[in-house]
Amino acid sequence: MSPRRRPRPARGTGSPEPGPLGGRHERPDARAKVTGSTRYVADLALPGMLHAAAAVSPLASARIAGIDTAAARAVAGVEAVVTAADVPGKNLVGVIFEDQPLLAADRVRMVGERLALVAARTPEAAWAAARLIRADLEPLPAVHDPVEALTAHAPLVHPWGNLIREFRVVRRDAARARAAVVIEAEYRVGGQEHAYLEPQGCLAIPEGRRRITIVASCQCPFYVQQAVARALGLPLAAVRVEQAPTGGGFGGKEDYPSEPAACAAVLAFATGRPVRFVLPRELDMQVSSKRHAMVIRHRWGADRSGRLRFAEVDTVLDAGAYIGISTVVAERANVSSIGPYHVPAVRVTTRVAYTNNLFGGAFRGFGAAEATMDRLARALDLDPLEFRRRNVLDDRRRRICTGQLLPRPVLARECLDRAAELAGWDAFHAAGPRNGGATREGMGIGLALYGCNLHHGGQHLDRSSAVVILQPDGSVVVRVGLTEMGQGNLTACQTIAAQALGVDPATVQVWQPDTTAVGDSGPTVASRGAHASGMAILDAVARLRRRLDPVAAELLACDPRHVVLADGFAAVSGDSGRRVPMGRVAAELASRRIEAISTGWYRSRARRFDAATGVGDPYEFYAVACHVAKVAVDSELGLVRVLDVAAAHDVGRVIHRDALEGQIQGGIVQGIGWGTTEELKLDRGRLMNPSFTDYIIPTAADAPRIAIAIVESEGRGGPFGAKGIGEPSLIPAAVAVRNAVVDALGVEIDRLPLTPPAVVAALGGAHRFAWLEEERVRGGVEEVVAGR
Amino acid sequence: MTERITVTLTLNGERRMFDVAPGRRLIDLIREDAGLTGTKEGCGAGECGACTVLLDGAPVTSCLVLAASAAGHDVVTVEGLQHDGALHPFQEALVTHGGVQCGFCTPGLAVAGAAAVAHGPADAETRARLLAGNLCRCTGYVKVLEALADVAQGEEAHVSP
Amino acid sequence: MDVPVQEVLRPATVSEAVAVLAARPDARPVAGGTDLLVQLRDGRRSVGCLVDLDGLGLAGIRRTSDGIEIGAATPMDRIAADAGIRALFPALAAAAGTVGAWPIQCRATLGGNLANASPAADTAPALLVAGAVLAIAGPGGTRHLPVGEFFLGPGRCALASGELLVSVALPLATVAPARRVMERFVKVGPRREQVISVVSFAGRAVVRPDGTVEAVRLALGSVAPTPVRARRAEAAVSGRRPEEAVRREAAVALQRDIAPIDDVRAPAAYRRVAAAVLLDRFLREAGGD
Repeated sequence: MSPRRRPRPARGTGSPEPGPLGGRHERPDARAKVTGSTRYVADLALPGMLHAAAAVSPLASARIAGIDTAAARAVAGVEAVVTAADVPGKNLVGVIFEDQPLLAADRVRMVGERLALVAARTPEAAWAAARLIRADLEPLPAVHDPVEALTAHAPLVHPWGNLIREFRVVRRDAARARAAVVIEAEYRVGGQEHAYLEPQGCLAIPEGRRRITIVASCQCPFYVQQAVARALGLPLAAVRVEQAPTGGGFGGKEDYPSEPAACAAVLAFATGRPVRFVLPRELDMQVSSKRHAMVIRHRWGADRSGRLRFAEVDTVLDAGAYIGISTVVAERANVSSIGPYHVPAVRVTTRVAYTNNLFGGAFRGFGAAEATMDRLARALDLDPLEFRRRNVLDDRRRRICTGQLLPRPVLARECLDRAAELAGWDAFHAAGPRNGGATREGMGIGLALYGCNLHHGGQHLDRSSAVVILQPDGSVVVRVGLTEMGQGNLTACQTIAAQALGVDPATVQVWQPDTTAVGDSGPTVASRGAHASGMAILDAVARLRRRLDPVAAELLACDPRHVVLADGFAAVSGDSGRRVPMGRVAAELASRRIEAISTGWYRSRARRFDAATGVGDPYEFYAVACHVAKVAVDSELGLVRVLDVAAAHDVGRVIHRDALEGQIQGGIVQGIGWGTTEELKLDRGRLMNPSFTDYIIPTAADAPRIAIAIVESEGRGGPFGAKGIGEPSLIPAAVAVRNAVVDALGVEIDRLPLTPPAVVAALGGAHRFAWLEEERVRGGVEEVVAGR
Repeated sequence: MTERITVTLTLNGERRMFDVAPGRRLIDLIREDAGLTGTKEGCGAGECGACTVLLDGAPVTSCLVLAASAAGHDVVTVEGLQHDGALHPFQEALVTHGGVQCGFCTPGLAVAGAAAVAHGPADAETRARLLAGNLCRCTGYVKVLEALADVAQGEEAHVSP
Repeated sequence: MDVPVQEVLRPATVSEAVAVLAARPDARPVAGGTDLLVQLRDGRRSVGCLVDLDGLGLAGIRRTSDGIEIGAATPMDRIAADAGIRALFPALAAAAGTVGAWPIQCRATLGGNLANASPAADTAPALLVAGAVLAIAGPGGTRHLPVGEFFLGPGRCALASGELLVSVALPLATVAPARRVMERFVKVGPRREQVISVVSFAGRAVVRPDGTVEAVRLALGSVAPTPVRARRAEAAVSGRRPEEAVRREAAVALQRDIAPIDDVRAPAAYRRVAAAVLLDRFLREAGGD
């Protein structure tokens, strides 16, 4: 172990130890899920409910000359067919910028753009009717490459131009900087489909044409609320959104669910009946948001002693036809481009371009250009681990590229060392690769610095609301505005509330978020779920205690300031023999008709950041993650097998150990999929592989061995110091795999995913059968010449 | 109008009779006609495994089985894995090992895992292969496979003297 | 959602099934349905009447005087696990174990894999190197067809209207003494399990004590409009020791036996290379490497 200052042991914020925090108690939702009794949207039905379907555009760019719905209306069981003119409110969606119609009226800009909606008594009738919708489309020029889209003569996706926005970070003059070793590279990183197991869906329940309830599979019930209110022309208070148990999100259910929700709502108002809209998998894959494809150009320089001198990064994001949240993604990518390294001169440009491709949105984790770090290390003949050690930020040098000082402790070096140790980095390299036959082994590092919670640009959304209700029997109801989508937010909220109240987690029930029960808490994204919910819960508990502690004090005959809550009791501080069960206190509050419900609120600290120059504090605090991957590559067939991943994560404080490990393991496997098998195959904007048959995600047989090191430290700002894990768990994995494959084969590969054809193509002349293509062509020519 | 057909089968140990359209899939008979919504539809093409049920003890993707084809046969869904209020050991293990996150793949996985346990002794690689038809996007499979290993070893300990 | 068919019939005998299939052009047999139901749902095939083959006794594996006979409705998991098939026709056992993941293997049948006639049909290369003969029941009785004549094009097979595949016979080859018999099946796809093959390969070689190849059969899937025998490659190897120069010739010859295309799963160039790699590995192993 390096003789560096170790992180200080964590302390809770004003709550007693021990308690459930950091443990492995049973997740509150696990039993219902494992028995199949949890009800997702598709499991909800109401008498008289109708089923929704959508007709979508097969073309990426076209003028709509007309839409004929007559045949659709004639299908038995159809109750309503709706086009743009029938939208009661505004025919617009878009979380940040209203550039997207709910239903296309005169123009389509992407394959899968909605043309019309159908509500029918059976799903068979609805989809049969949708197939009969005839749209008269006149093709228009389209652009399918984001770099091309930014050139002067590219077809315009919208009249106002194809450049959506440009972000920069400039520190000293990197453009003219020199260094002994300079690497230039261009990386093409593919998009990714979230592939949540539960397709997008929602249920809309109207009350006349005055109010509506939406039950939605989503990450952001408040976005859904806003979208539905806008589409129906209703005030926000008349739209109630309840988040249904949601079968996975990963960013894919951040903004997209607002669209099916608005569709179902329009149909519900048109028919006066509840309407359920569940997307078939193929349609879901074609139309829902995707990780942005990116083209990233690098020019980085280092001196002979292995110190980075400058970094220039130029990134173009393919936003697809509509902005969605592309600018948010770009902001994050912009400040994350440099990674956790000290670089004296930096010039980062991040541009977001419209194209007629798939709609780009959030995806858990953003790519880090660790590939260039490895290239530089090789050019300097330095061990990639050592090269990183010389350049990572630490407690002494902790200024990131925007000029922000990272709060201490900066754990990049610690995570790097722990992951490398777990992976057996030194032993692997000392022993030399175990190459047998065509198999080549390699090891690679991915190190990421993740800005937790919302970027400065999203500060206005960064607040969170909670409600805590102490029941007369001592059990506790908790409501928050952030959502559970599998990542463990419910568990985190339960754990934090139980820790704060000193009760058994089993007595705390966290119920689904509901826009009529709590205030707008922003989106559940950016790994902010546990953090924002937790802080609001702690606030609610603190406020509840102002009324609870005096009552407990009376029962205990002590000063209210000496009341402590632990092990299910209210006790006297320092005299644990004097105590009463919480149930007794709760009953007392109830019998005296004292208010046992309290709200809690949290908002992040305001900070300064200049979007034009990239100077300032884009994030409140940061987390570091390091993954070291070991791969075995079949150098003839190009098959990549990830054998091991060692992961070290700086998490502040562990809230629930199983949930934390589960997130890391899931993120790693999702990262491996992105890095090796998941490819969005587009043909003029149409997704050619919109199914699990041909969009290949990892199975149980692909899971590597995963070893995890958790680095805890005292944090400011998080509930008990917790930082967030949702996104850091994925970011470094894909690039660690890429670096390992390059290490194994000795050739650079600058495209993701590393599919077998991509690996074979990268080997080029080094492939054992490279001679075959020449031979084949020659043989073919000979045959032609010989007249055969 | 297409003539409806009568399908009689044993569902979770109970003999049941349903009146359905000829093109009715087993998954819809289970979810809509029998009201057992534990079995989930993730893709409708037999690729994700969320709809896995046992057909005469063998795991199958119910989205690709016609209700008519199941007539006269024995179907067990996730709801049928429990006995006398106790979870199947694999279900219990999934919970205690932390192998449940969003839960959507979980019922199908529970059924496939129960079948894997019944399949007999197997090494870790074989167990992973037996579950390869159940896609999960949340867990990365690690805790799921640990849960299965735990139960499998328990079974082997049971069987060997 | 319901699959768009109007009728599902369950005949009690093979001749009843054949009679329905012959009488109704909109009728099609269904066993495991793992390909057919997806096609019906996607609208790629339209069928008015499904003839369920369950209960016709078409599932089963039995030893005959000539070899092994597999009922057309036998599911893949039984074929993969059968001791006799594993011992005598290991390529087929291996292939059957790769047809989708476990739940698919419990339903997908040998007959379905054949009748679906995909160029990627996993069992086809193994059946080709085994010299399998198909028994086909029709209105006029039963006929027998070598598997090599069964595939006509992508999705097209030699079953005429009213005909039903009932069994597949695998003949036991007589092998001279002191011969080494080697049979292999390999499937290459984008991940380890549950894939439609990008290239599949089956090889069967009989090797003399002096290391020369007495007989060889090579077959590939996903590299041509149908599963194919690689006859030019076979000719290049036959009678010779599979040393490097011979293997090189065979790799070149192989390229004229196959005609891969670019499709959503892989480019042709990759398929050519992968096919050559699989052949090379087989021949090296046959040569004792």
